Amino acid sequence: MTDRLQSLYRSRPRSRLVRGSVAVGGLFTVWVWTSGAVEVGDFMTGRRRENLLRFVTEESVPFPLRQEGFDLARAWSWARGVLWDHGLEAAGATLAIATLAIVLAGILSWWLAPLAAANVATARPFELVVGGERLVWRALRVVVRAGMIVMRSIPEYVLAFLLLAVLGPNHAWPAVGALALHNGAILGRLGAETIENLEPGPLRTLRGVGASRRAVLAGGVFPLALGNYLLYFFYRFETCVREATVLGMLGVVSLGFYIQEARAKLYYDEMLLLIGLGALIVLAADFLSSRARRYLRSGV
Amino acid sequence: MPAEALGARPSSVSRRGRLLTGLLLAAGLAWASLGLAPGDALPGETGRGILRLFCEGALSPALTYEDGSAPADAPLLLVRVGGALWKTLIFAAAGMSLALVIGLLFGFLGARSWWTDDERECEVRARARAPVRRVMTLVHVSVRVLIALMRSVHELLWAVLLLAALGLTSFSAVIAIAIPYGGTLAKVFSEMLDECPRDSVRSLRAIGAGGVGVFAWGLLPRAAGDMSAYAFYRFECAVRSSAILGFFGYPTIGYYLRLSAENVHYREVWTYLYALLALVGLLELWSSKLRRRVVMR
Repeated sequence: MTDRLQSLYRSRPRSRLVRGSVAVGGLFTVWVWTSGAVEVGDFMTGRRRENLLRFVTEESVPFPLRQEGFDLARAWSWARGVLWDHGLEAAGATLAIATLAIVLAGILSWWLAPLAAANVATARPFELVVGGERLVWRALRVVVRAGMIVMRSIPEYVLAFLLLAVLGPNHAWPAVGALALHNGAILGRLGAETIENLEPGPLRTLRGVGASRRAVLAGGVFPLALGNYLLYFFYRFETCVREATVLGMLGVVSLGFYIQEARAKLYYDEMLLLIGLGALIVLAADFLSSRARRYLRSGV
Repeated sequence: MPAEALGARPSSVSRRGRLLTGLLLAAGLAWASLGLAPGDALPGETGRGILRLFCEGALSPALTYEDGSAPADAPLLLVRVGGALWKTLIFAAAGMSLALVIGLLFGFLGARSWWTDDERECEVRARARAPVRRVMTLVHVSVRVLIALMRSVHELLWAVLLLAALGLTSFSAVIAIAIPYGGTLAKVFSEMLDECPRDSVRSLRAIGAGGVGVFAWGLLPRAAGDMSAYAFYRFECAVRSSAILGFFGYPTIGYYLRLSAENVHYREVWTYLYALLALVGLLELWSSKLRRRVVMR
């Protein structure tokens, strides 16, 4: 019995890659925390501690309450002032940027996904015949996939920053464009995977009765893939709202713009309020998209 | 296929249809409310010039500083790129390790399967006394609220907040990454634990294992593969976030990228971009190899 146990133990699945990765990750983490590369506890002393205390006890308290003490009515009238003046409008703009961007990303990925899917972008789509792969199609797939990898590897924030230089300030296109490109690339990849994982039967049948590539796409691929694709779509919508808030800090008029402005003026009370508002709309988007996903799931 | 499923088909299509129409309408509304002119989406005269410079930079990234972009005593460009990458990696690793601790702790506490066991729920509930039950529910709910709050504030906003509170120290960057990532990890971990198959739980139950034993030996190993794969994926994201934190003055790659871009040194910008892409690409490759090993099918 013990022999068998031991031999079972010895023959358990092991992987050098996994062990090596765990070791490297663990050692690196230990080194990071002990070598002083991260200034741990720095804020517990001297100036930083004063800074922290001042921030918590003074600067983050709404300013009408600082001298006159806590009073709910006064706090509310202050908050309402900030919200009515620009907060709510900026929150609306943030949602609008996210919505427009995700829909544009959806449209973009609608084109990218089939071009990157191995069962569509090939000389003999949806056919049983193996081989006869043409270089042109493979090149097309590689180019589309590489483009998508680059687009999703560059952070939205950097993309928006670069677009801002190209498109100029004073309108929301840099933010919308950056979000649409980044998410379009992500949705394109996810869409391509969805298409590749489709049951080949119905598509082959369509092809077999003489449907063209486009006809198979319109009549088979899109209807079959749409359900799963929309799940991804709403998952990305949530992320989009989070990012749209932040992109404002580059100068587009979303919540981030006013957060940055409040920060520059050292109005930390207002900054906190606006960050809270941002959290609220992210939670709302979270709720909305999970409702939409459930709506879809229960219906399919 | 059962008849009612067939009957359900047309309605499901119309559900999608309704959703898609709603989305298009919302997008139209958003467009109108932002007051966007379609023409502005294309670069103007100056924009085209910048775009040309930018595209040329992509083909010939700088290996040494472009004219006048650095003082004489600055380190070689490639040394600076390497140093910035290293810092990016350090912040990401430190933030992620803290996030993992938070994620595991809150992930367990936020998981339904930690508190109750579907099949024995009545028994557990009956055994626990009413005040204990109330405390359990309170902890569970408050952890879930905390997770939502941590997650719903973007890492850059955490950074802005911590910059105001602590000032520019590497620890504030690390926490700025750790809080939202910890929240996300906790949410996903708890979902993974709750959704993993219950067969081993049932077997352990049958041979008399208690609550903690069932969780540790029945659920955790089942979910561990997915959890570690997801954690590694989040590490990639953490590297990107850490890079962007540089825009706020931390010495990661975003800091230098922003400097170069503001001085219109797009060849240098591309050097930094390529370095970041290479790092992210490398991590992606590594994680896809790892995923194949650890995710159970």
